Amino acid sequence: MALIVVADDEFLLATMLADILEDEGHEVVTASHGLVALERIRARRPALLITDFMMPVMTGLELAQAIRADQDLADLPIILVSGAQGAIGREHGDLFTDVLDKPYRNESLLAAVERILGV
Amino acid sequence: MKSFSRIASGIEGLDRILEGGFIRGASYIVQGRPGAGKTILSNQFAFNHAKAGGRVLFVTLLAESHERLFQALSTMDFFDAERLGKDISYVSVFQTLREEGLDAVVKLLRKETKRQEATLLIFDGLLNARDRADTDFDVKTFVAEVQGQAAFVDCTVLFLTSASLEETSPEHTMVDGVIELSDTLAGVRSLRQMQVRKSRGSRALGGLHKFEISNSGLTVYPRIETLYAHLGQQEEVEPTRISCGIGRLDTMMGGGLPRGSITLIAGPSGSGKTTLGLHFLATAENEPALHFGFFETEQRLRLKATSQGIALPPPGDPGFAVLWHPVAENLLDRLAHELLDHVAAHGIKRLFIDGLGGFERAAVHRDHLTEFFATLTAQLRNLGVTTVATWEIRDMVGGDISAPSAHLSALLDNMILLRQFEENHDLQRSLSIQKMRESAFDTHAYRLGFSPSGFMIGERLGHPLEQPSPSESRG
Repeated sequence: MALIVVADDEFLLATMLADILEDEGHEVVTASHGLVALERIRARRPALLITDFMMPVMTGLELAQAIRADQDLADLPIILVSGAQGAIGREHGDLFTDVLDKPYRNESLLAAVERILGV
Repeated sequence: MKSFSRIASGIEGLDRILEGGFIRGASYIVQGRPGAGKTILSNQFAFNHAKAGGRVLFVTLLAESHERLFQALSTMDFFDAERLGKDISYVSVFQTLREEGLDAVVKLLRKETKRQEATLLIFDGLLNARDRADTDFDVKTFVAEVQGQAAFVDCTVLFLTSASLEETSPEHTMVDGVIELSDTLAGVRSLRQMQVRKSRGSRALGGLHKFEISNSGLTVYPRIETLYAHLGQQEEVEPTRISCGIGRLDTMMGGGLPRGSITLIAGPSGSGKTTLGLHFLATAENEPALHFGFFETEQRLRLKATSQGIALPPPGDPGFAVLWHPVAENLLDRLAHELLDHVAAHGIKRLFIDGLGGFERAAVHRDHLTEFFATLTAQLRNLGVTTVATWEIRDMVGGDISAPSAHLSALLDNMILLRQFEENHDLQRSLSIQKMRESAFDTHAYRLGFSPSGFMIGERLGHPLEQPSPSESRG
């Protein structure tokens, strides 16, 4: 239905999230850190980015700032999923469409995805 | 001699073992089986380091979730979620390793260390890196490269691994230090210990040191033998005498207890050892006094003192304290640290230990008890403390009286023996001095009684001409 990029350095979490989204019929591309995610997004624009906060090379916050600064990508919806840094994410309401605290319930995440994609 | 710049782990006992902390820019392996305490140690270090103004990069190679780690750590006092993503970052390089190999991990670590301006890099999962390496040469290169680039920016590195690497392993040969954590069974007890297996260019306290894990993280108790090893032989006991609290006994000893000496009161249960100690503590005039015991709470001690007419300083008196450690799972070195710390902090001059058996019970490795007591008594002398300690002789009535142990007796300056015996089907007690170091003393045994005003030393035993004993006078 839609192309979603999942950026998380934690392999298991990224894979699990990808599986859940694929079960809902979405196409998912995973990235192990922010910079890889940005490259994937530029190569093929997704409908949504779901990103972790703490990642090597480029954090979720830096990734979101890079996207908002890019004219072509500025309006891309971004969901931040994070344990400890949810608060930092909420301070940057302009960067993130939604912020979910880890551990999150799959239903809450899917609901947020549906709300944003307008399914 | 050049001395190293160090960063403290904030784990006091560990910093003492490492003679000040980890060397700045050096690399270490922390190894131990799962559950040995590597994660707690490294995170405690990380948060303490961040609190002290440092920046930490925590890199994992495991598929385990960071969130689960944070949940586990959230019960720890040192954990501060506010620091996450600010001065402590946790990143996983699992995918990088899987997809691009060790070289890519090295490159990523270099970039991340620089980007985060990290002063401490913790790499969890050296075992996984090892699995990925095709040869020992690859591991060696990996460790060498990571530590080389970290050292270049003055960043200290901790490699965590659950493998028990041998001294000849390539990892060991590369790093500056190796710390091993173990969790073993001693009888029915679980015993956590740490050992510095390697410490390049720097001294470290050798051997196994016990530690505990609680909500405050690791508490490490360096073996006191290693801590105070430099004390060596003490100078002679000072000649000044202080009262033991009982005038007659002072006279028998030739003027009281030599200041700074160690005195043992040996005797069976109920013979009056504790009462004698309470007299000693109650006589402390303007000298901070401490009761360090294993049997009675402060409340019970006070009841006992009151019933014997002994006036202990009132509760809350800054010059008097009771530290009670019920005989349960005590750690020998923890007891010693608590005792010595309290003595040093409060300037204790009169110490009553009731009794040495409590230390013996706490010892897991009894073969080092003699060295332990030697160090403890040497340090107490060094601190100028006059110590009286009890030793329970297990024979209730009569029987052979033996010194606690030949080695232990040699460590003590003075020894007082309390005995119980039956006479005309009545329990009698006696007191005699067995030993006074460098001093003449009254060698006779005296009858011992308890009066409303405490200890009462009665007539001399076995000397019909001077003071006939009741049995003989009846004959």
